[in-house]
Amino acid sequence: MGCASSIPDKSAGGLNNLDNGGAPDAKNLRVKLVLLGDSGVGKSCIVLRFVRGQFDPTSKVTVGASFLSQTIALQDSTTVKFEIWDTAGQERYAALAPLYYRGAAVAVIVYDITSSESFTKAQYWVKELQKHGSPDIVMALVGNKADLQDSREVPAQDGIDYAEKNGMFFIETSAKTADNINQLFEEIAKRLPRPSAPDS
Amino acid sequence: MDSASTQSVTFFDFLDRMRNPASLDLVRSIKSFIVSFSFYTANPENDGKKVQDFFFTMEAAIRDHPLWDGASIEEIDSAMEGLEKYVMTKLFSRTFAPLPEDVKIDQEVSEKICLLQTFLRPEHLDIPAVLQNEASWLLAEKELQKINAFKAPREKLLCIMNCCKVINNLLLNASMSENVVLAGADDFLPVLIYVVIKANPPQLHSNLKFIQLYRRQTKLVSEAAYYFTNLVSAKSFIVDLNAKSLSIEEIKFEESMQAARLANKVARVDIKALREERGPGPSGRIHDNETNTSGGCSYPYMEAEAGELTVGDVERLLSVYKDVVTKYTGLCRAVRHVPVTKKVPPAPHLEGTDVMLTQPAAETSTSMDSQKR
Repeated sequence: MGCASSIPDKSAGGLNNLDNGGAPDAKNLRVKLVLLGDSGVGKSCIVLRFVRGQFDPTSKVTVGASFLSQTIALQDSTTVKFEIWDTAGQERYAALAPLYYRGAAVAVIVYDITSSESFTKAQYWVKELQKHGSPDIVMALVGNKADLQDSREVPAQDGIDYAEKNGMFFIETSAKTADNINQLFEEIAKRLPRPSAPDS
Repeated sequence: MDSASTQSVTFFDFLDRMRNPASLDLVRSIKSFIVSFSFYTANPENDGKKVQDFFFTMEAAIRDHPLWDGASIEEIDSAMEGLEKYVMTKLFSRTFAPLPEDVKIDQEVSEKICLLQTFLRPEHLDIPAVLQNEASWLLAEKELQKINAFKAPREKLLCIMNCCKVINNLLLNASMSENVVLAGADDFLPVLIYVVIKANPPQLHSNLKFIQLYRRQTKLVSEAAYYFTNLVSAKSFIVDLNAKSLSIEEIKFEESMQAARLANKVARVDIKALREERGPGPSGRIHDNETNTSGGCSYPYMEAEAGELTVGDVERLLSVYKDVVTKYTGLCRAVRHVPVTKKVPPAPHLEGTDVMLTQPAAETSTSMDSQKR
């Protein structure tokens, strides 16, 4: 609970504004993150929570809900700017996904714990990325809507097992209660390969 | 992104600096680069790389140049935007849709969209009713349709961004007023696809390819890259679109496509038949205005000598005469209603046919006037 507190407050404000596409370096990473998953699993809710949760919710600096960016600061004083690419989850757009995940450093694959169908779909995306994604892509498996325990269809253990088998990071979140949302992105940031540049 | 007007200011600033004798070395590089292009036949992939490399070298050159001594990142950037615009405007005819394949794909995409336009409904893409907003869609379509008004890759890209912004605003407004949860790309992409089909933007394939190859690589990133990718993906969806891509019965889809093809063919035959049947006569009334401005062919007697005419020409000559008079009187009436507060701007389309048109008409009308008196 209360995950927002785990992110230092100073991380958000200034850094975002400073960004004008300047060259990324070892201390300030810029990362393309693609969101995959069935429609209706709450992909964009997770991102909105992550991006707006730490901000004034009325601020409308961002253009839309399908592309959002957010910078977080890590304990080792590096910053990671996530550029989050949402994809349309409907089946008819599945063939377009490669256009979006090309060049992505991170893929977050989301399913809805109350829908085993969406979990099957998530596994499809994992396989697809293993085949066609860039080989060093960081993958996270996310079971969303964890607040709806009563209608759970996918046991947490299934997610854990599947993620472990595929070398992924796994977490259950609730975009509604903001549970684990920040942990998700923080954990991803920690797992990013760092450019081996000398400290300056 | 900044507005087009500030951009034109910075473009003039770029041109100004290039006129400065101190930038002679830069001007020379630019000119010789542009000239070097005319030595080889077009090869998009190669050309794209060459241009990108050139931008890269020039950025370093500008950064180290005395004229930009102590310039901020923004100033260097706006010089580079000026350079991109200048170079790509000069190279436009060589680099935009240079291959017959591109022209063909453009045509195929546009024709497919034409067919889809005849029956596609928002429901076929499961666009929820709250997002069905004709006014917003029209705005978005207009932004896309502007794409050929620009030659610079940056400005073309801006048309795409503006279109996407209109759609995003629609989604945001819907989520605020209707208490609908924002669904991100699940909502965005279908609306974009629908807007693209309604707009049928000119040379969609070639425009996308041009931006991809010639927009400075450091600028086709982040948000711009995302929305650009969405349009690429919309195009790809449309190209591969079949009954299974839509919420529609397969039979219904095939029937509608067939009917649209037939209607298209009939329309084309009609126009052709009309042209052949009526000859190059006053066909402008039947066709749209475009035919009117298509050149002197509508008025075939402009070069004729009296001795060449035969009795057989009388009918056609008379109909051309009537056409001219009708147009002239219409024009006069319109001109009379133009407020004379400012100097009357020269009508931009008074070229070609219309110039030829006014002269004989003027004579006719004076003679008519004198008859009245």
